[in-house]
Amino acid sequence: MTLRTRLVALVSATVTVTVVLVTSAVSSSARRAFASLDAQRTAALVAQFRREFEIDAEQIAAGIERLAGSDAVLHTAGDLARSRADRAAYVNEATSLAAAQGLDILDLVTDEGTIVSSAQWPARFGYRHSWANAAAAGAGAFLQPVELPGETALGLVAVRKVAAGAGGLLVAGGRRLDRSFLQTLAPPAGTRALLYRNLEPAGSGHQLIDASGRVAQPAPFVPLIARVRESGREASDAIDGPDGSETVTAIPLKGRDGSVLGALLVASSGRELAALVSRIRWSGVAFGALGLATGFLLSYVVAARVTRPVEQLAESSRTVARGDWDAALDAVPGVHASGEIEELARAFEAMTRQLVDQRERLIQTERVAAWRELARRLAHELKNPLFPLRVTIDNLRRAKTLAGAEFDEVFDESVATMTSGLQNLNTVIGRFSDFARMPPPQFAAVSPNDVVRESVRLFRAQLDAPGRPAIALTVDLDESIGTIRADAEQLGRAVQNLLLNAIDAMPSGGELAIRTRRVADSGDAGDAGGAVRIDVSDTGEGLTDEERQRLFTPYYTTKQHGTGLGLAIVQSVVADHAGKIWVESERGRGATFHIEIPQTPA
Amino acid sequence: MKRFTFASAAIASAIAAPIVLQAARPHYGGTLRIEMPGVIRTFDPAASPADAAESAARARVLPLVFETLVAADVSGGLRPQLATSWEGDRAGQRWRFRIRDGVTLHDGSRLQAVQVAAALRARDRAWKIGVDGDVVVIEPDRALADFPWELADARNAIAIRTATGDLVGSGPFRLEPTEPRRIMLGAHEDYWGGRPFVDTVQIAEGRALGDALASLELGRADFVPVRPIDLRRLVQRGLRSAGSRPLETFVLVFEPHRALPSDQRVRRVVATAIDRATLSTVLLQRQSEAAAAVLPPWLSGYASMFQSAAPPSGYAPARTEVSSLPPEQRTLTLRVDAADPLAQAIAERIAVDVREAGITIKVQAPAGLAPRPDVRLVRLTFDATTADRVLAAIVGALGTRVISLATSEVPPGVGAPLDAVYRMERALVERDVIVPVVHLPALYGLGERVESWGGPAVWPSGAWNLANIWLRSDAPTEKADRPDR
Repeated sequence: MTLRTRLVALVSATVTVTVVLVTSAVSSSARRAFASLDAQRTAALVAQFRREFEIDAEQIAAGIERLAGSDAVLHTAGDLARSRADRAAYVNEATSLAAAQGLDILDLVTDEGTIVSSAQWPARFGYRHSWANAAAAGAGAFLQPVELPGETALGLVAVRKVAAGAGGLLVAGGRRLDRSFLQTLAPPAGTRALLYRNLEPAGSGHQLIDASGRVAQPAPFVPLIARVRESGREASDAIDGPDGSETVTAIPLKGRDGSVLGALLVASSGRELAALVSRIRWSGVAFGALGLATGFLLSYVVAARVTRPVEQLAESSRTVARGDWDAALDAVPGVHASGEIEELARAFEAMTRQLVDQRERLIQTERVAAWRELARRLAHELKNPLFPLRVTIDNLRRAKTLAGAEFDEVFDESVATMTSGLQNLNTVIGRFSDFARMPPPQFAAVSPNDVVRESVRLFRAQLDAPGRPAIALTVDLDESIGTIRADAEQLGRAVQNLLLNAIDAMPSGGELAIRTRRVADSGDAGDAGGAVRIDVSDTGEGLTDEERQRLFTPYYTTKQHGTGLGLAIVQSVVADHAGKIWVESERGRGATFHIEIPQTPA
Repeated sequence: MKRFTFASAAIASAIAAPIVLQAARPHYGGTLRIEMPGVIRTFDPAASPADAAESAARARVLPLVFETLVAADVSGGLRPQLATSWEGDRAGQRWRFRIRDGVTLHDGSRLQAVQVAAALRARDRAWKIGVDGDVVVIEPDRALADFPWELADARNAIAIRTATGDLVGSGPFRLEPTEPRRIMLGAHEDYWGGRPFVDTVQIAEGRALGDALASLELGRADFVPVRPIDLRRLVQRGLRSAGSRPLETFVLVFEPHRALPSDQRVRRVVATAIDRATLSTVLLQRQSEAAAAVLPPWLSGYASMFQSAAPPSGYAPARTEVSSLPPEQRTLTLRVDAADPLAQAIAERIAVDVREAGITIKVQAPAGLAPRPDVRLVRLTFDATTADRVLAAIVGALGTRVISLATSEVPPGVGAPLDAVYRMERALVERDVIVPVVHLPALYGLGERVESWGGPAVWPSGAWNLANIWLRSDAPTEKADRPDR
């Protein structure tokens, strides 16, 4: 992972965590605040419903009072008080009076308790009334189960007595507590009122209604209702429904005897709160997303500003590694940075300049050393042929005094010696000339094994020469290595030089081994892929560390009569084939030279 | 029946008599407006009605246009109509009817005996009908001792088919061109019984009872059918009513699955728990009679039995009887006609009474498909005037399946001896599969300007006496709250 990626990830993570923490904190705080408000609103609603219920009760009591004092009822009471009154004439009286007064429940009852007329159950005439009596006549409105055809309803009723003659007429009426009653409560938005009518011995959800009728799923309310039924006190609960959570407060509705006849449930929907919290949450998410996007962008810009100089320095380092010192030095001033990165850039520039200076000095030193070595070698190489020439010239100068026959003999020998010496000089000069004139390789598909076999064949006679200390040759070729792109002649010269070096390293005999292998490319020698390695081992004296380090330097040799160009030629050939060469050796344990040529397609 | 002539009435009006006298004496003219629920699709007396409503409407309207040879009179006997006299042989196989002379048909022609014979032949080809001068001789397909009662049936009214195919009658009113849902009848100027007082009778068909009552109250109608439960309302508004003797009987009929012997106790409790007296007195405003039998009291052989069906003094015995029964057996579903508010009111009261006896009745008035009921409240309507014919009509209305559940006896046919009729009447209620509740008359509300002369507006048989109705020109300022009956 790059520095820039890490920086972007770090800044982004920081922004993300910050945004999430802020959003959740705001959301949580808002939820608490609105929950508190919701609780206050629910309490206010409960109080409002209580007041409305009390007002309804007062209105019903007042309405029955007015009805009892109306001319129609007074006339009816007076007529019924007569000894031969025809009650049948008033059988529908309650129906018409209830319709006129807007009452759901209205019974006209004699003071003995016989129903004369019933609006809610007209067929009940002549039977005894169960709850209209003189005791109830003076009280205000009260809750009462009211029998209807086929069902029992809950009514908010009042009873008044109309005195007539010796007896009187009881007017018992009121309103049903049903969905129409709930509709009149007009709860504010987000709230609703439900009514549970406790008209069955066992609590049943079927008796729970709201303004639209029977509640479809009453089960969640049953535990709360059961608590109110048992305790007779107000209770609240949070109830989850299909439309979300509701805070429900159940107010017990009691009858004249104090028994719980029903419960008014005030449900405050948590939907608005949830919607508000959701809006806050989504606003937080939106702002968070915006913050994240901004954070990402900012982190990218910052990371880019921070990492660009570092990347430029890294590129400059790679340029230095490639040996393009001047380009690296030219690039460093282009690095725009400040602070530590600027110091790093300056340090890198200083370091690079020092390296360039040191390299220049090293090259100079190497050049001087090479010239010295060349001069020493030339002197050494030229000195050997020149000594016989100088001696021969001295012999000729002395032989000038000799007789003709002897002089001729000396002259002929001297000419032969001088010719041989000049030939040696010419050979030495030719070698130097050959090294200087190494031609560029001519690449073709070449089998390394064939190159090795050919080279071994050239040295076979030398190794088998009589009188020569025995050298055991081992050839181990991997036939699966195939071909490589190479110049067969140059590659052969390189192998031959290695074989020659190995033979020279074993003047007293030993073991010479050459083998080929297909290996994985080390990556330094060329493109990724396979490579062919050629190993040449000997059991000679081996090399010291210094010798190994200077082994491939031109004109460096450890031989008595070597030119120091053999391994330099090998290294040149290997370099021209994008390969590499190295040596493994310890003093006294022989040496192994490795050539590795990348196996690029021919 | 004595009538004023149109000319004398005109003279009487011309001499400018005091208004009080005008209001007290009948006079001619005006349009009598009637509203009724039924719709008459054809005025052919021989045609079959499409439904009960049309049947009831035809029974009332057609006699105004088409007359029978004889008709039921107020006392329960027969009176001459198109036939002035009649006689039969001892076996009741040959009957002679002398046709009234001077009867003018609505097309102005004189009624001939041969036309009567032709009309009767068209009604029932099984009869052998001949003409002997002004006498029509009829030999029924079987001996009938009360054959004239058969001819008193409105279906046997004399409708003369003219050359153009139209039907003309001889009744006090003639058919005028009709409009959809409105029948127009014009006074028959040459009616043998005297011209009707009103010039026109306008009958609005297909009117709901509630709407008709509202029209009466608003003065838009003069003569409308009403329910007993509406009578109090009429009285409060100063309107009068007229009614027949009981022509309807409400009965409970248990369905086959509750007509088994195992449900006998429940049925008995239901039959005895109904407080018929209170039902009749209060709910039906004293306009009905408690029913102990399916036949109305004026025909029944068991009217005196009603005392045994008086309201029970207490329900404790009944409760004890059914308390041991399983709850499902003590619960009944009572179906009533959703379009019949009176039946629903009676059913609700029955439910209350039976509830006190420990049996729960759920009243069901379905507008469409509904679960199978246990018992039905059935309204039996009859126009016949003899016990055998009424019983036959009731048996026909209840159906053979119900009859077979109620009794194993074979219902007697028309013309059966009276003892056989009464025996069957008794048998029908013995198993309490059929439980009589109340008998009801046909009731009508009369508008403020309606007066009648020489008889009630509605005959005890239920027939409309429109020919004797006259209309006040000014509504009286004060009227007595009295029924017309």
